[in-house]
Amino acid sequence: MTETEHSTEARQEILSSIREHLAASKRFDGQAVQPQTAQPRAKSNSAQGDRNETVIERFRQALEAVSGHCSIVRNIDEAARAVQQIVDQRNAQRIAISDSTLVHEILRRLKTEAVFLAAPNQSDLFDCDMGITTAQWAIAETGTLVLESERERHRLASLVPPVHVAIIEANRIRQRMAEVLELIKSSDAGLSRTVTFITGPSRTSDIELTLAIGVHGPGELHVIVIDEPAQPA
Amino acid sequence: MNHPTETADSTVYGPPNAFDQNALKALGDEQLHSALQNLVVTFGERREAAISSVEDWEGLRDEARAIKDETLAHLDRYLKEFANNAERAGARIHWARDGHEVSRIIIRLLRERNAKRVVKSKSMATEEIHLNAALEAAAIETVETDLGEWIIQLAHETPSHIVVPAIHKSKKQIADLFVEKIGIEPTDDVAKLTSAARRVLRQRFAEADAGISGVNFGVAETGTILILENEGNIRLTTSLPKIHIAVMGIEKVIPRFADLDVFLKLLPRSGTGQQLTAYQSLITGTKKRPEDEGPEELHIVLMDNGRSRMLAHPVTRQSLACIRCGACLNACPVYQQIGGHAYGSVYPGPIGAVITPQLIGISKATQLPYASSLCGACREVCPVKIDIPALLLHLRSEIVEGPVGGLSEQRGPVKKKFAEHLAFRLYVFAWSRPMLYEWGARGGRLFQRLVVTQGRIGKVSGLIARIAPPFGAWTAWRDAPPIAPRTFREQWRESSRIK
Repeated sequence: MTETEHSTEARQEILSSIREHLAASKRFDGQAVQPQTAQPRAKSNSAQGDRNETVIERFRQALEAVSGHCSIVRNIDEAARAVQQIVDQRNAQRIAISDSTLVHEILRRLKTEAVFLAAPNQSDLFDCDMGITTAQWAIAETGTLVLESERERHRLASLVPPVHVAIIEANRIRQRMAEVLELIKSSDAGLSRTVTFITGPSRTSDIELTLAIGVHGPGELHVIVIDEPAQPA
Repeated sequence: MNHPTETADSTVYGPPNAFDQNALKALGDEQLHSALQNLVVTFGERREAAISSVEDWEGLRDEARAIKDETLAHLDRYLKEFANNAERAGARIHWARDGHEVSRIIIRLLRERNAKRVVKSKSMATEEIHLNAALEAAAIETVETDLGEWIIQLAHETPSHIVVPAIHKSKKQIADLFVEKIGIEPTDDVAKLTSAARRVLRQRFAEADAGISGVNFGVAETGTILILENEGNIRLTTSLPKIHIAVMGIEKVIPRFADLDVFLKLLPRSGTGQQLTAYQSLITGTKKRPEDEGPEELHIVLMDNGRSRMLAHPVTRQSLACIRCGACLNACPVYQQIGGHAYGSVYPGPIGAVITPQLIGISKATQLPYASSLCGACREVCPVKIDIPALLLHLRSEIVEGPVGGLSEQRGPVKKKFAEHLAFRLYVFAWSRPMLYEWGARGGRLFQRLVVTQGRIGKVSGLIARIAPPFGAWTAWRDAPPIAPRTFREQWRESSRIK
């Protein structure tokens, strides 16, 4: 028998086993509470930008509660200065970057000797001491960054180096998870092949439940929120 | 190095049917007790704090259960929808009836690609089918990359908890293990142990030909798999190697993308007491362009392995709603005393006591449904409101009376105890007739003079066990109060006479 035939046979058998056992359950189902039919959750009405102090402030607090760092800046120059500070403090030499235009605009403003690697191969990547990406969305109530692979080449730069710096525009922050799930599903670029949710630095409690930060992923997460004041009309 | 007071060695425990002896062994393990105490307090407090941040926790639990019930009632339809959508996005779907088939499929995939080195992220489904042993037998080098799982693998042990697999081991034991296996300097600093693990495992990630993961949720609507974690090892496992193989129990499917919101609120809070774990990876098929990041191939193995059988009755069907958070373990007074290994199975605690007999066959785990006081703490904390006590009773009745409906191949009880059966029939007969009940009480009062010691019947004197061995099973561990000198009925009659 070929593998395809095997798989087809297994598929048929599993599906008919499910149907047969569900059918056998029919005469008992009346005794138990009837399964309820789940209703899709009500959509949130805050489809608007949510661009106000409380959402940004909530995001900052939630992020700091999980050991992330957050700076709120007013424009791209200030964002570049914030990045510069982190690069200097960490004395970063090799920095993995995503392909986002915002990241590139910030890099142009940096004064550093560091090497920037746009699509590093694996061994270069393992030697990087910092990664810089943006995030497409953020969730205020949990301090979560949401990165879509169709929008940005984010997966390794945000994961492998010990420090991750993420830049996000304030109008991309939403209050709740449900809103962001809706946004990434109905994105113009389609649902990305990989969507990554990041809430604070990598952590583990596997040894005596003692919290240790930075096991396989970054031990430091810096988020820079660009909150540009509205232009006067 | 020898640590006479530090045992916590999973290798001394027998299979599920040795539960009684296993439990006795575990009760004598001092180090296990302090580890479990730490677990109960820490996870208990964290969970309480995390659920207090949800406005309507009860409503959320109901909603999650309704989603699971709806899915299970049409599981065939949702599985097909999931498989079609995942394939449309570029994933390959494989169907596996049992654990052997899963291993066979994975070994074939790896051999065809000449993949010899595999990195794995924590997956209870692969623990359940002993995938690592099968890969080892096929000469495929497999490294667990979750810190807890890696510790367990280095020590040649098995997990003792669904969420924190190495909870039974002390920092000292882990440090000694690292000194012996990876040659670090002795330390008692958890941060140093963690960074040693990071260093060694980075090398394994760099060399890996393939990554194997589990799945927390599979979304039918989009064909997406979602995996939660804190460490980042799952992201590395599913991003770096050229091929990613995900093993998914057929019960992991949920209908809609929006349903993830409900489960992402419940699972981290119940499991580790976090509002959200550090990372969620939502993976839908394979990369679109060759220059994109990520594996070239995604294979999803849909595994039945005894799950579809559980659909045959509404009580057993609940088992498939489980999202493997481990909250029932932490809340269970039995687990709190004996830990995970005593259950002799991959799934310990209350959920293990109901899942294991159904997965491996009830005759191979007849003691597990009795490993509970039916206190209901598990039901209280379960994020999807599984009525575990009802399940335990259901399984107990299957053990003594035979399968309740369904398509079970087994006919008749696993162990029929005629004497016990007869005794209960007599008990029901007598206790439902007032006259016999009263005579019984009087007779008992006469008889108990022989066996009451220090005002109690049973354990203290051990007399019952000596003169009537079958009752010894009841009295070996507990005392019963003696029958009162005057029963309530007698007192009632007297007071009525006085009036």
